[in-house]
Amino acid sequence: MMTIFRTLFRKELLDASRDKRSVMAGLYYAVGTPLLMCLLFSVLLKQLSSSDELLISIDNANAAPALVHYLANKDIRQGEGAEVKAIRLVVSTDFQQQLQQGRPATVIIDADRADDQLQTAIRRLERELGRYNSEIATLRLMARGIDPQLMQPIDVQMQDQATPDSRGGTFLGIASLSIILTLFYAAMNLAIDTSAGERERNSLTLLLSQPLSSLQLVLAKIAAIACFSMLGLVVILLVSKFTYGMVPWQQLGFNISLDADFMLFTLLVGLPLALLSASLQVMVSFVAKSFKEAQTYVTMVLLVPVALSMVTTYNIAPDHLQWLPIAAQQQAMIGFLKGSAIAMPQLLVSSLLTLAIFAACSYASSRLLKSEKVVFGL
Amino acid sequence: MIKVTDLHKKIGQVQALNGLSFEAHNGTITGLLGPNGAGKTTCLRTLFGLLKADSGSAEIDSLNVVTQSSQAKQQLGLFPDPFGLYERLTPREYVQFFAELNGMAGKEAKQATDEVLSLLKMQDIADRRCQGFSQGQRMKTALAQAIVHKPTNIVLDEPTRGLDVMSTRLLRDLLLMLKQQGHCVLFSSHVMQEVAALCDQVVVMAAGRVVAQGSPAELCLRTGKTSLEDAFISLIGTDEGIAA
Repeated sequence: MMTIFRTLFRKELLDASRDKRSVMAGLYYAVGTPLLMCLLFSVLLKQLSSSDELLISIDNANAAPALVHYLANKDIRQGEGAEVKAIRLVVSTDFQQQLQQGRPATVIIDADRADDQLQTAIRRLERELGRYNSEIATLRLMARGIDPQLMQPIDVQMQDQATPDSRGGTFLGIASLSIILTLFYAAMNLAIDTSAGERERNSLTLLLSQPLSSLQLVLAKIAAIACFSMLGLVVILLVSKFTYGMVPWQQLGFNISLDADFMLFTLLVGLPLALLSASLQVMVSFVAKSFKEAQTYVTMVLLVPVALSMVTTYNIAPDHLQWLPIAAQQQAMIGFLKGSAIAMPQLLVSSLLTLAIFAACSYASSRLLKSEKVVFGL
Repeated sequence: MIKVTDLHKKIGQVQALNGLSFEAHNGTITGLLGPNGAGKTTCLRTLFGLLKADSGSAEIDSLNVVTQSSQAKQQLGLFPDPFGLYERLTPREYVQFFAELNGMAGKEAKQATDEVLSLLKMQDIADRRCQGFSQGQRMKTALAQAIVHKPTNIVLDEPTRGLDVMSTRLLRDLLLMLKQQGHCVLFSSHVMQEVAALCDQVVVMAAGRVVAQGSPAELCLRTGKTSLEDAFISLIGTDEGIAA
């Protein structure tokens, strides 16, 4: 039994490793994704942490010299040229007069709130205007002999529990998503080639005419593909470690660093997933009648892990989803990176579930290979 | 020895095998002759256990191909059509792989591979990948695969298709050698000259059943014709499919 398996496994490994295009296609993902993520994160971080100076246009600035001066102290200035954000602060003509009479003086913020790129700048301007507001109000109360603290019945204090590492939740989600999906994308071409491809090249019937069981054949194929999945995982971890080190995380006060412990943990958690990925894709490819059909089906089926990973990344998963394969493993990876506790029951249950799906898919594939329709692609 | 008894097999709406029975003995070359669609390939696929017969049985050296599938398959060498080569493997890797699949241990498989590669004079291409091989080189690789584990029975599906004269002669010599060594050689064909030149026994098939069996000379005698081709036409009663 084992000898046949070893022989088949060795041949699958040799054949797949010489299929340079398929191997490279898988590795392109493993190398390219972290680079792309690194670029994306850098752009995002730049947007999130606005530069110190905020340039806007101010209409009728002469009417409110004190306000303009106050804003300038907070690095919000009137500016010209490309650096100026599309925010216009309009000071009403009767500003000075209203202020002197102790009536509300109008300023208008003219900007597009739907524009995500302006969000931070608008909030900052509003915040500073609010502060100016309460500063003047305090002065007025004091002038009338009233303790300004009367205006502050509740003193709200925020004590931030977030550790620097736990702050980058979404970033960690996206990083772990790209890592976990490697297990699926690195295997895709090889899985299709070894099943639908093998049938199309007419070597499947010859193999099945040999003294071996279809389960041995299927398991050897899955084991070989899983090896390449794991290779993809190793590559993406190494490349991620390098590229994420170059993202200017300090701007947001947290850091994503992939240390050796995390890599080992991910490899361990990823192993059952690699088996699931290979067995699922092989099964789908055998169900398809041709190579092209297999490509379509496999792409469609891969939407499921992507979806599971997405809901975990954006933290929109209902509680019971956290027990499912991929979601639980990714949650554990994020937990490990954050340095928070890992939900062990979920991880264990989902790992067992992962192995159960692998067993079911493998068995189903071996049954499929007993069907004349599947073997001859009828 | 290969023995097929009363095989029935329906594929879709077509009754591909309809009570097929024949025997192929050791030390003889048996030709399975029939027009296109006669059921030759279906019969061979049933022998390898790829198709399950609706009824009837097939035996290799008295081993049932369904119930004793592994042992039966070990006694069977298969030269398929199409060959089913692995383009990215070399003939040496390919042949050794099949030797090991058929129960040979590493060293034994390696030695058997060396032997068969030199028997077929393939040393010059043994370590080149199969990609880009000529039809003759492919044929040799497939044949090496079929005989490397020294099975008693060798089954060939349309072996001469697409081969040039040199390759055909080489194949013919090899089949005669296998016969001399006492193997049971069974091949399907629709090329009369091939069958007439090689076969000791001819099984003429039409519509999934045997219409006649005997040596080429016997078949000619029985039908009163001078050539196997005329005998064949007269046996199956129509010239349909002969041209293909």
